Amino acid sequence: MKESQAVDTTVDLGGISLRNPVLTASGTFGYGTEFAPFLDLRRIGGFVAKSLTLEPRVGNPPPRIAEAPSGMLNAISLENVGVEAFIGEKLPAIPEGVTVIASAFETDIDRYAEVCKRLTGVPRIAGLEINASCPHVKSGGIEFGQDPAVLGQLVRATRQATSLPLLVKLSPNVTHIAEMARVCEGEGASGISLINAVQALEVDPETRRPLLANGLGGLSGPAIRPIALRMVWQASQAVSIPICGIGGIISAADAVKFLLCGATAVQVGTSNYLQPSIAADVADGLVEYAKRHGIPRIRDLVGELEFPSR
Amino acid sequence: MAEAIWEVSSEGAVPIRAEAEVLRNVSEGPSSWRLVLRVPSWPGFRPGQFAMLSAGAQQAVRRTDPLLPRPMAVYRAEAGAEGFDVEILYKIAGRGTALRVAIVGPLGKAFPPPRSGERVIIVAGGTGIASVYELAARLAGAHPVEILFGARTASDLMALEDFEALKIPLQVATEDGSAGVRGLVTDLLETALEAPTPGSGRRVYVCGPTAMMRRCAEIASENEAPCIAALENAMACGFGVCLGCAAPLREGGYALVCRDGPAFDAALIDWERLP
Ligand SMILES: Cc1cc2nc3c(=O)[nH]c(=O)nc-3n(C[C@H](O)[C@H](O)[C@H](O)COP(=O)(O)O)c2cc1C
Ligand code: FES
Repeated sequence: MKESQAVDTTVDLGGISLRNPVLTASGTFGYGTEFAPFLDLRRIGGFVAKSLTLEPRVGNPPPRIAEAPSGMLNAISLENVGVEAFIGEKLPAIPEGVTVIASAFETDIDRYAEVCKRLTGVPRIAGLEINASCPHVKSGGIEFGQDPAVLGQLVRATRQATSLPLLVKLSPNVTHIAEMARVCEGEGASGISLINAVQALEVDPETRRPLLANGLGGLSGPAIRPIALRMVWQASQAVSIPICGIGGIISAADAVKFLLCGATAVQVGTSNYLQPSIAADVADGLVEYAKRHGIPRIRDLVGELEFPSR
Repeated sequence: MAEAIWEVSSEGAVPIRAEAEVLRNVSEGPSSWRLVLRVPSWPGFRPGQFAMLSAGAQQAVRRTDPLLPRPMAVYRAEAGAEGFDVEILYKIAGRGTALRVAIVGPLGKAFPPPRSGERVIIVAGGTGIASVYELAARLAGAHPVEILFGARTASDLMALEDFEALKIPLQVATEDGSAGVRGLVTDLLETALEAPTPGSGRRVYVCGPTAMMRRCAEIASENEAPCIAALENAMACGFGVCLGCAAPLREGGYALVCRDGPAFDAALIDWERLP
């Protein structure tokens, strides 16, 4: 491949065609317009909007965030504007030509399906992501994504509720991520996204209390990246639907690692806070990497990890 | 006199994002520092606005610990020969110096300006002092204004000379009596509000530790004076996307300090639930 030749950056993420494989992660990119002063949204593959519930929700009491080594803890809970305000007010403000993936979370499966139904047929929405890291009230508060049977029911119900491409975002707080990935594939998910934040606890030794008012929180940022890479790799060995890799991405090199481990696309999360244009820089950096390595198509990198054979 | 001295809404001034050069980072006593950043462009700022700063951002390997940027009040900003100089006052327990600092700002809404002729009392403590300099500077000479500073001890006070140069009446209270009067700044506020105010009423602006702001809010309310408090919550993003900086409201629910504030009508805040 010649230096001057353009690199083909397009990818197909389970029926969502993306101009490049770099998306931004739900909950870290607001509803998109907040980033307008900092980057042209058309430079990235698209974004996953903040997870939506049927009704607007109020979140947890503060402190909701805390510092952690190379990461942060958050316990925001379900706070969001609700599905109607998203469709009526937030979507129309997003510039044309920007790929929008809507995210759904809820407290029971019927409500998840309702959110998906409501988002289906709305012109600007290219696909849905189901956030399975929500506590399931009926299972005593464990996450939907932590029990393969419950996860299966969730994917089946949401799959039936929508004709849109359906990504299922898995919780990392499980023993066998491959099993969870297989459940999603078996129930007809178009792809899977992983990982969500890792359940964590940080403590103030002076007050003997957790730093977060909620007690537990989710750890995100570079601290979780090796865990995320491991899980993406394990999932990619188990299923053939595309994977969207998430966790601590802060550079194009990090994005390449996820592609090598089997991710078709990636999402940039916490690092949007440090540097609001970072996702576009990661996308540009991927092109540079491809040129440097003489790779005509970014998607040729997917799954090319040379893992030692056992 | 102009009715509104500055606009409150955050719309209009589009924040910049830049890798700023550190022109100066000088110690201002045992725990405070004055940082002067050079940025290529700057849209101006209004009293009460802040910026998100992260150190050493433009290194080959991006520094990840500490990971999150820090919200810092914009202390002062002026056009220089080669760009704009943005000044920040901060307190920190020694985290190596950086040659470059990433800056995103100005962010947040400004303090609502006082009404014409209103007597203004500015109360500040800790890093809150950095949040009120621009407010004091814009009001100096245009409004009846006085400043009350509180600190544990004299060396905790920052930038006193800058404020003295504004030629505004300034009183200091320290808990150990090492500067000004011995006692709490909230006592100074009580005394100030006892004095009869002819004409257009008075208004309190406060920024500092939560306990201090809460007490000032109480005193102001007892004296039927409006009180504007600039909150200093922890933040991750600074522009309304992480939802991490929530401040509880008395009517229920939350406001985002970075987007809806940092300055709030103190009567709206549920001080009991604010950490
Ligand atoms: C403050 C915050 C809020 C989040 N909110 C959501 C959310 O609403 N829905 C969701 O699926 N993931 C949410 N996440 C998880 C991220 O999308 C992402 O999966 C996780 O942070 C790991 O990626 P990172 O290390 O790049 O941040 C949130 C993360 C953070 C830090
Ligand atoms: S700091 Fe992120 S929403 Fe306020």
